[in-house]
Amino acid sequence: MEYITEEALDLTGLLSGSHHPAAGAVVLFSGDVRDNNVGRRVSHIDYESYVPLASKMMRQILEDAKARWNLTIAVAQHRIGKVQVLESAVVVITASAHRSEAYASNRYIIDRIKHEVPIWKCEYFEDGTSIWGGNCNCHAETGDPNKHIYESENG
Amino acid sequence: MKIEVFAALKNHFSKEFEVNEHLETVADLRQHLSDINPSSSHLINMCRFVVAEDLVNDAHPLDADDHVIVLPPSSGG
Repeated sequence: MEYITEEALDLTGLLSGSHHPAAGAVVLFSGDVRDNNVGRRVSHIDYESYVPLASKMMRQILEDAKARWNLTIAVAQHRIGKVQVLESAVVVITASAHRSEAYASNRYIIDRIKHEVPIWKCEYFEDGTSIWGGNCNCHAETGDPNKHIYESENG
Repeated sequence: MKIEVFAALKNHFSKEFEVNEHLETVADLRQHLSDINPSSSHLINMCRFVVAEDLVNDAHPLDADDHVIVLPPSSGG
């Protein structure tokens, strides 16, 4: 499976392939494009990525999560290109014996993807303007470009 | 060396361009990019650098034939 894709994400297909006899819990997170941001009407979002490194990092993040929470399934895929309102830009699926591990690991994976993986969004607004946005500014508080705030939250 | 930038950096630089000055390290390149385009300085200071598909730190030595990727802070999801 490609970690970065220009195709629409197949949430139901990915979910149906994520059940496992040893897993009593399956969590699916979908990051959808919404129609507004900071009071402005959003038309769509265009995502860009440095794919070779992004793919490598997503594979490593999933391996880290599987080892840390003993997951039976860990899947993530991020879309690039033009993504419309209501469409999914990123999906993370985790499966484990119990729900606490499935929830915690899912949050861990999406946080790391958003902060670390070289993927960027450009928001296009209905008034015709656009902006590269949502940058991770954790370094302003941590003092280290490679140290993110959520890392302390996740232990 | 060849420089390739992404996302908001394209508001400041061409997507790909050449740097012909002798720069010994990533730190030198970071400073050089800020010098040639001061309006990018704040963003450049937050960027990560990639050589041969791996992240490198500021002390990483550069060669004239390197292809350096400059990554602004991520904003996926």
